[in-house]
Amino acid sequence: MIDVDDRHRLGQADWIVGGEAARAARKQGVYAGYVLALFAAIYGFPLVQALFQTTDRSWLRDQLASPVGVAALVASSCTLLAAAVWAGRFRGPVAPPLPWIDLVVTTPIDRALTVRRWWRFALAGAVFVGAVVGLVLGSGLAFAQVTGVLAIAGGTLTGMLLGLAAVRLWLWGQVRSWPGSSRGWAVLWRLPDALRALHAESLRAHSANTSTLAGSALTGNLRTARLAFARPVRRARAARLRPGRPFGVLVRRDLLGLRRQPATLAAGAGLAALGGSVLIWGLTQPAAPPVALGLGMFPLYLGFGAWAEGLRLQSDNIGTPSLIGVAAVPEALAHLVIPAGLATGLLGAAAAVAVATGGTGTAGVAVAAVLTVVLLSGGHLLAAFRGSPPPTSGPQGMVLWYIRPGTIVVLLGATMTYFLRAGQVGGVVVTVLATALVLAWGLARVRRLTHLHRN
Amino acid sequence: MSRTAELTGEVRAVGVSKSIDTTTLLRPVDVAADPGQCVVLRGPNGSGKTTLLRIIGGLLEPTTGTASVGGRPADERDPAIRACVAALIGTPTTYRDLTLIDHLVLVDSTWGHDPATSDERGQALLGSLGIGDLDDRFPHELSSGQEQLFRLALTLTRPSSVLLLDEPEQRLDTTKRQVVAGLLRKQVDQGATLVMACHDPDLTAALAPSIVDLAPAR
Repeated sequence: MIDVDDRHRLGQADWIVGGEAARAARKQGVYAGYVLALFAAIYGFPLVQALFQTTDRSWLRDQLASPVGVAALVASSCTLLAAAVWAGRFRGPVAPPLPWIDLVVTTPIDRALTVRRWWRFALAGAVFVGAVVGLVLGSGLAFAQVTGVLAIAGGTLTGMLLGLAAVRLWLWGQVRSWPGSSRGWAVLWRLPDALRALHAESLRAHSANTSTLAGSALTGNLRTARLAFARPVRRARAARLRPGRPFGVLVRRDLLGLRRQPATLAAGAGLAALGGSVLIWGLTQPAAPPVALGLGMFPLYLGFGAWAEGLRLQSDNIGTPSLIGVAAVPEALAHLVIPAGLATGLLGAAAAVAVATGGTGTAGVAVAAVLTVVLLSGGHLLAAFRGSPPPTSGPQGMVLWYIRPGTIVVLLGATMTYFLRAGQVGGVVVTVLATALVLAWGLARVRRLTHLHRN
Repeated sequence: MSRTAELTGEVRAVGVSKSIDTTTLLRPVDVAADPGQCVVLRGPNGSGKTTLLRIIGGLLEPTTGTASVGGRPADERDPAIRACVAALIGTPTTYRDLTLIDHLVLVDSTWGHDPATSDERGQALLGSLGIGDLDDRFPHELSSGQEQLFRLALTLTRPSSVLLLDEPEQRLDTTKRQVVAGLLRKQVDQGATLVMACHDPDLTAALAPSIVDLAPAR
């Protein structure tokens, strides 16, 4: 038996492999925290203020104290925690660089020590983000006089606790991403055991996923990122694509795809239901703040996107010899049928519930639902066929390139539904024309991008 | 309803070359192939075989020279060219949520073939390539050789009078190369024009083609 000091050996490895890298990484972490705090102060707090100030205070106070309000808060928190477990399957909180994994993690040094630094980064980050979000929401409520000043401390503390719970569950998700005996609930409480349960191959996969994601973000290669995180499909193998006319078979393809990926179907339904409910609530309840219209558009946009895989796959095929015997635009329109149909159904259901429970403005809601589906279709054509990022755009240009389709949908959708709610005919006409323009722009992008590769 | 001209399979490339800035991808070359003929492009790595196939398929604009298919300029934007040329150049993107037979049915249906016999056609094609028993697999469940056979099936399932193939023999064992040679021979005998880049002397000999040797590019 040889007695060795793991901490001493780790310190030596740290110096040889990383040099000053650890200190530099800590500085970067502190800087990121500073930027986040700055953004929260400049943008987050005023936005939350605007949201609460434009809402009927007494109504909001009643809602927050009602069983439905409490249930909604608990459900949101549970969704966040479930998302943390889910994310841990692909990219956990512990993702050291590959050389560190190969040269240090694989040595006999205690793994709880060799990976601890990355865990601490993630822990500090999650608790800090939770605290900032809690502080912004709590102070927003307090300054809008919806609650007392105690909400500031309560919000901050709750945010920190949620951050702590989320990061623990995130780690648990990472531990469970590799088969093994120590994967039960118990490792949630025994942190060193959880870190020791991380397999070197799993750490490599998570680290590689981080590099893939970062590389895809930098180069604008969204397909690579999508495929890195997509689960292999193995369901409904015996189901067959029914042959038929060209347009119909493309629609059935998308339907079969969703049948074989029920998680994608459910994720889309959840997001679209959430967004649709908020949007319809904003349209039919006079007490709802106008900002709810924009807030509803965002999850609706994401939900529609979850159902539009066929559209993205069509765009992925640009530049390859043609296999499908249908022109680009009809093919894109065929791939919009399923997401547009599902979104219409969900918005219709939400509108029916709103009307049944005493909401107002039935005709406006129907028009808003139809226009929203058209806008979502145009937005997703722009998103799927966004092409490559501008070559000399820089980080800001890259971010704008990513968020442009979603931003157009959220801003135009919010404006259009606001005019509908307010009954301003002139505004409605202008936004309807703008919505038609977005759809036409999306179809033009399909045509342009399909043939652009040749030059 | 749109109408598309039906082109015959004459392939002509006259003095085509490709350069990007100061880099030459393909030196000037001529290619001529008629229906029922096979032309094999040979040359060392980097001599521009794939580039030439992309130019003939209308996927790339040549820097000099002209390329035509059935007497029309080779341009993939022309629906008649798309209807005439089937190509396996690079890796086609497949649907990760469709099985092999679903892929073939999808491609077959979009070309307006008889839906009643679409399944049988797909099954027969997979069978002729020796992967008939893999019909209910998803693309990610294939070995690299099986994947190559599936790509060939995808390319052959759509109608065409011109076939452009970039090293169809890659990743295949000797037996499967012979299977592919037999299948391609049949296509040529039925009147297809076949232009392919190939490094395999046996496959080249089996198709008794004209050969175009490409000079190394710089």
